[in-house]
Amino acid sequence: MTLSILSRDWLLDENPDTRMQAKFGQLYRMSRALMRNPLAVLGLLIIVALVVIAALAPWIAPYSPIEGSLTSRLLPPSSAHWMGTDELGRDILSRVIHGARITLYIVLLVAVLSAPVGLVLGAVSAYFGGWVDRTLMGITDIFLSMPRLILALAFVAALGPGIGNAVIAITITAWPVYARIARAETLTIRNSDFIAAVRMLGGSHARVIARHILPLCLSSTIIRVTLDMAGIILTAAGLGFIGLGAQPPAPEWGAMISRGRTFILDQWWVATMPGFAIVIVSLGFCLFGDGLRDVLDPRQRSK
Amino acid sequence: MIRIEKLNVHYGAAHVVKDVSLDIATGESFALVGESGSGKSTVLKALAGQVSDWSGSVEMGDVRLEPGRMNPALVRKAQMVFQDPYGSLHPRRTVDDHLDEPLQIHGIGNRDARILAMLDAVGLARKFRFRLPHQLSGGQRQRVAIARALMLEPEILLLDEPTSALDVSVQAEILNLLKGLRAERGLTFLLVTHDLPVVSFLCDRLAVLKSGQIQEIAGVDQLRHRDLKSGYGRELIQAAEGMSERA
Amino acid sequence: MALLEVENLKVRFPTERGLVEVVKGVSFSLGQERLGIVGESGSGKSMTGRALLGLIPRPGIVTADRMQFDGMDLSRLSERAFRRLRGARLSMILQDPKFSLNPVMTIGEQIGEALAFHGRLSGAERRRRVLAMLEAVRIADPERVYGLYPHEVSGGMGQRVMIAMMTVLEPDLMIADEPTSALDVSVRGQVLEILDDLVHRTGMGLIMISHDLNMVARWCDRILVMFNGRVVEECAAGKLSEATHPYTRGLLASLPRLDETRDQLPVLDRQKLGAL
Repeated sequence: MTLSILSRDWLLDENPDTRMQAKFGQLYRMSRALMRNPLAVLGLLIIVALVVIAALAPWIAPYSPIEGSLTSRLLPPSSAHWMGTDELGRDILSRVIHGARITLYIVLLVAVLSAPVGLVLGAVSAYFGGWVDRTLMGITDIFLSMPRLILALAFVAALGPGIGNAVIAITITAWPVYARIARAETLTIRNSDFIAAVRMLGGSHARVIARHILPLCLSSTIIRVTLDMAGIILTAAGLGFIGLGAQPPAPEWGAMISRGRTFILDQWWVATMPGFAIVIVSLGFCLFGDGLRDVLDPRQRSK
Repeated sequence: MIRIEKLNVHYGAAHVVKDVSLDIATGESFALVGESGSGKSTVLKALAGQVSDWSGSVEMGDVRLEPGRMNPALVRKAQMVFQDPYGSLHPRRTVDDHLDEPLQIHGIGNRDARILAMLDAVGLARKFRFRLPHQLSGGQRQRVAIARALMLEPEILLLDEPTSALDVSVQAEILNLLKGLRAERGLTFLLVTHDLPVVSFLCDRLAVLKSGQIQEIAGVDQLRHRDLKSGYGRELIQAAEGMSERA
Repeated sequence: MALLEVENLKVRFPTERGLVEVVKGVSFSLGQERLGIVGESGSGKSMTGRALLGLIPRPGIVTADRMQFDGMDLSRLSERAFRRLRGARLSMILQDPKFSLNPVMTIGEQIGEALAFHGRLSGAERRRRVLAMLEAVRIADPERVYGLYPHEVSGGMGQRVMIAMMTVLEPDLMIADEPTSALDVSVRGQVLEILDDLVHRTGMGLIMISHDLNMVARWCDRILVMFNGRVVEECAAGKLSEATHPYTRGLLASLPRLDETRDQLPVLDRQKLGAL
């Protein structure tokens, strides 16, 4: 008890003694603000659950996600199979649990690939302005103007189906949004006095962008990425659904819905259970993203 | 120390600074006075390399400026303090980050000691070192901005209305600080302001600007005796007196 | 009877460390006069003005033993009743006209809108009133300015438009929060003269909130000096030089003068003042 109060005071100290204490204090204040928002906490719990389930999938899944027994085909939910079984007699719960891995893999990879590309392009574009801006934003607009799923479809069709190619396709369609955000943000700060001050101190353009502009664009991009996660999951599921994403027998949620479509009237659980998973995880990211926005970006507070 | 000859600045079609020539001695404190739109800030920006479309000749010490090019030698020669202490500091970086940056850029060692010495020099308690700008008052922020400008030990400080965004009592503190620093370090000041009493306190000479043209250059004694020659200079004195004399 | 009477006004905000009091029990009364409230940032002067107009944002808490405007108890007023009062009988001018004017409406329309909200005038009648008002704030060419958009006018003109908009309904009480600090020195005088003129002509009460001691001393009848959420000095404007409170004296001394010869400006000792 004493220890926690001590550390709390340490974290909330207005006069931190070290850089580290200052950084931790900031983090602590932000997380406390986040924790005061019950919906954001719910979103965070869902995301944490997704990560834990994905990490521990082989140990918590009751059955194999790939091999089923044809004797237990299309069984309704029961105590033995909580979510029922599919047309090949595979346990749907186990497949959904293993599917969390694929979903997480896609989502993380897309975020890691697209956000930095968009951020840097947008910031560079706005910072230099002129023909650099016109060229880069022209390219961005071309990508933005095409419907996401169709563009992803075209890429997968060209590269061949598979999770890896789905990730590339989604990334290609995702970065322009971040470029736009970073550009808008950079435009508002590039003429600030503090940027002029760094230039006067002899800081290079690269330094100004990397150390001063990008950190300020980061929070709005993180918010946007989190909110976009739901869309990425849906696009991935959509690709899986039309057979261009994960290939059988991989337990990808979209592909599972697609296969369950055939029996939707008589064996509703086959398509519905992975559907629930998609809805819950998408919702989790949305709620968390909204909460994050309130904490990181006070200007757009939703209350 | 600062020699400006026939400086002309255009913003698109607008001709905002017209044939401005100034000669400011080493260690002198010189004021550019005028209202908004007089071009006074533009002159400063041209010297600071923030405006690129200018013509004429500008020398600061032995550094010759060229339009549209950042002269690396200028960095050690002149630094700037901005008007708005809220806009001139990066909102996510601590005081320490701000003071450390110039040292990092120029690979100067012994950074901890230098930062602490500078905090002392601008009268900022050391406990503020790791605070973020929003945890500081306006006066404290302006002290940080002054400290940052002095980190590279320039000979010239360009001051763009450094106290007009501050409270009266804080303004006095910052003005005292600037005056003290100038005496201590032999700095040359070029101050842009609309506030004549500040000129009277801090400067040796002043130039009155209107519509981009110098109306007159006068010594501060002339200002103190309300003895400006140009019509516009007198108007400014009148306006200032209307605001300040009855008290 | 006084137009406005305030007793023990407090404004508090809940924060992580409990309630923070930004206005700590302010009392004053106002007749048909010009009252200046002076103080530095954080003194609570703006919060006082906002509290009078019911404009303290949530979760701020406003309490007062008495807050009476022309016989009405402001502290009991509903949000709706307040809205009706604002504009019609109470109005406010803010520091920067740029942020207070709607950029996509012409100036004439904006001033006319206030009339349309609070009265039933015909379009032609409204236009006549607006033009007369623009003339009253010394706009030389009201017909032309009527059709301009806010970005097409200068700062001084914008502030005059603001004043026209806020006085077109002939309020009984006007609260001006730093009405001139965004303006050039030469335009300030004009704007203040216009306000002065309106006070004399319409007999409204004016509360001028400012950080500028000298300006307030020159343009008001009475002055309240606020420090740290409290009124520390109240005096007639002409008697400011005889002020007794150390804070007021300190402020006056710390102002540089046109014929400045002091080597250092005296600085307020905040710690000592905080203990007072």
